Amino acid sequence: MGLFLLVGLPLLITVIVFILKQDKLIKLLCFLTILIHLLVTLSFWRGFQYVSFNRFLGLDAISQIVLTIISILFFVVSIYQIGYLSEKKGQDNWIFIGCLLSLLAAMTLVTMCRHLGLLWIAVASTTLLSAPLINYFKTPQSIEATWKYLLISSFGIALGLLGTLFLAISAISLKTLFLDDILNNAALLSPSWLKLSVIFLLVGYGTKMGLAPMHTWKPDTYGEAPAPIGALMSGGLTGCVFLAVFRVAQICFHAHLQEFVSPIFILMGILSLAIAAIFITKQKDFNRMLGYSSVEHMGILVLGLGLGGGAIWASLFHAINNAFAKGLLFLVSGNIYQYYRMRKVANIQGVIHRFPLTGTFLVLGLFVISGFPPFGMFYSELLILKQAIAAQHYLVIWFYVIFLAIIFFGYSKIILEMAFGKPEDNNLPQEIKKENIFMIMPLIILAMVLVFTGIFIPDSLYSLIDKGTALLGVN
Amino acid sequence: MWLELVLILIIFLGILILGNNRLGSMIQLFALQSLLLSITPLLIQPGLHAGIITIVTILLKVVFMPTLLFWAIRHVSMRWEVYPLIGYGKTLILCGLLMAIAFLISSKLDLPDKSTSYLLVPSAFSIVIIGFLLLVSRFKAITQVIGYLVMENGIFLFALLLLEKTPLLVEIGILLDIFVGALVMGIVVNNINQEFGSASTINLTNLRD
Repeated sequence: MGLFLLVGLPLLITVIVFILKQDKLIKLLCFLTILIHLLVTLSFWRGFQYVSFNRFLGLDAISQIVLTIISILFFVVSIYQIGYLSEKKGQDNWIFIGCLLSLLAAMTLVTMCRHLGLLWIAVASTTLLSAPLINYFKTPQSIEATWKYLLISSFGIALGLLGTLFLAISAISLKTLFLDDILNNAALLSPSWLKLSVIFLLVGYGTKMGLAPMHTWKPDTYGEAPAPIGALMSGGLTGCVFLAVFRVAQICFHAHLQEFVSPIFILMGILSLAIAAIFITKQKDFNRMLGYSSVEHMGILVLGLGLGGGAIWASLFHAINNAFAKGLLFLVSGNIYQYYRMRKVANIQGVIHRFPLTGTFLVLGLFVISGFPPFGMFYSELLILKQAIAAQHYLVIWFYVIFLAIIFFGYSKIILEMAFGKPEDNNLPQEIKKENIFMIMPLIILAMVLVFTGIFIPDSLYSLIDKGTALLGVN
Repeated sequence: MWLELVLILIIFLGILILGNNRLGSMIQLFALQSLLLSITPLLIQPGLHAGIITIVTILLKVVFMPTLLFWAIRHVSMRWEVYPLIGYGKTLILCGLLMAIAFLISSKLDLPDKSTSYLLVPSAFSIVIIGFLLLVSRFKAITQVIGYLVMENGIFLFALLLLEKTPLLVEIGILLDIFVGALVMGIVVNNINQEFGSASTINLTNLRD
């Protein structure tokens, strides 16, 4: 029943949306479907334990974390789209909402897979379903961004498939790709094929996740995609692919290949931080900056996996906070774009004076993503640093601190300029728009969620992250 | 014996695609390569399972894909690949080098199944490399799609190693991905054409830092 509501219902409603095509009706349907999805997801939280639907699908602790992230993000986007899609009518909107719902089904499927072949199929389908969403505006720039996204991600997906096949070859004595069977018999895997498989899987899924040096699609895509899609991709989709990477780590840790895989994770992490630090400081476009910011946070996530120990806990905690923080900032960027019709930072000045609510959330977003003390990211970044010190990776500590400082400087420069800069009268739009209630409410919800996941961490969340960490065999 | 002959022909056709600059003949060569590829399952393990895979592969890779690609180049009215990023001679030399490395690596890996040909793994690697080179060294959107498809052919060869071990599900996944992937790419190529007047990714350079 739960399975049907989570995956089947969005697919069913997609078909209905393609038949009905009425603007108001499909928006309402979209909202209701996602509301049901959220309620079902939250119902799993009561006394969480491993839920198995069948051999192929099941929910363990990490799936539950990622599923909740996705569900909440889709929920706020489903409110946001009521205001956001009011300018265009007809075909564009029903394609948008149809793809949105089937993307929800695909991403939910990613979180539940217990079979690595099926996991790959689900990840591949998210690429295809998100492409029409990125191309919503159909401008030359958005077509260029969609093309780059499709080509680079499909390439990553192809490498991921190769990695999956190599894994199947290394598990040839088991004759299976079921995650549970592989984890239980990890000692039987052939090491040379497994190593090859891990490299391909990490590069493949890393491309989809946007880790340097395979990140090049990210700023373009996030810069051109509609804001709610940016929110879903940088928060939800990267979370899904992080889950795939987590599965790879799980297999490696069980096969005692930790010493082989950790340096790869650390290298990818530090490289991503470096790329983000270089490009954020001289960024002139807010959305592209968010793209690089996503590269940075993905880097921190894999760095945490690479350092092991307490850093893995921090990494999962960081994934949650990053998702909601990115969601908040992308939706803010969507509001700003609707008011100003410009993307360059130099043209968007004094947001807080003219649009006080949006401006407040913009500044709040700065505090969250740069890891200011009361928010969750401060805690997780500190924990990762602590683990690096404990493991005496001095070079990692050095780079980590330097790059984070540079990135913090870059964020503050751009966002403070946008929020408090002096507005010039000549680039005012003709009509001054009012802040739309449907586009403010999601921001309030996300800010509340951030307070709960970062500051007052509920016990159930705490224990769920503990269980997720335990999946890697670490206490 | 026959399997080795077919594998060598597949690699040979791959190299021909890489050295070609006419889009039409590239697509024809790709179709021929896919035809040879689709009979390999029957050579490795004759049976109903292999037969189904052969038929599906022929329908998708030999009939459907080339038709779609021909339709796309007629729309775009493009015949030639002009100005490759890396010259044809250089790509071929690079391809030769990488293939030698592929054979070296494959000799180090222990084959899980002794009954299949020892050429299977190195030729699969080689085809993936050829596809990859096509993908990165050309500008035309169509050529990049062909490169991606050639790469998928190489991946298909790897999947053949697991013919009797992998469930049918994974193979459907492979075929489905190729199908939908190229379909969406085709649509986008069409859009590129409307917006820029040519389906060359050389024009896609507005977005950069």
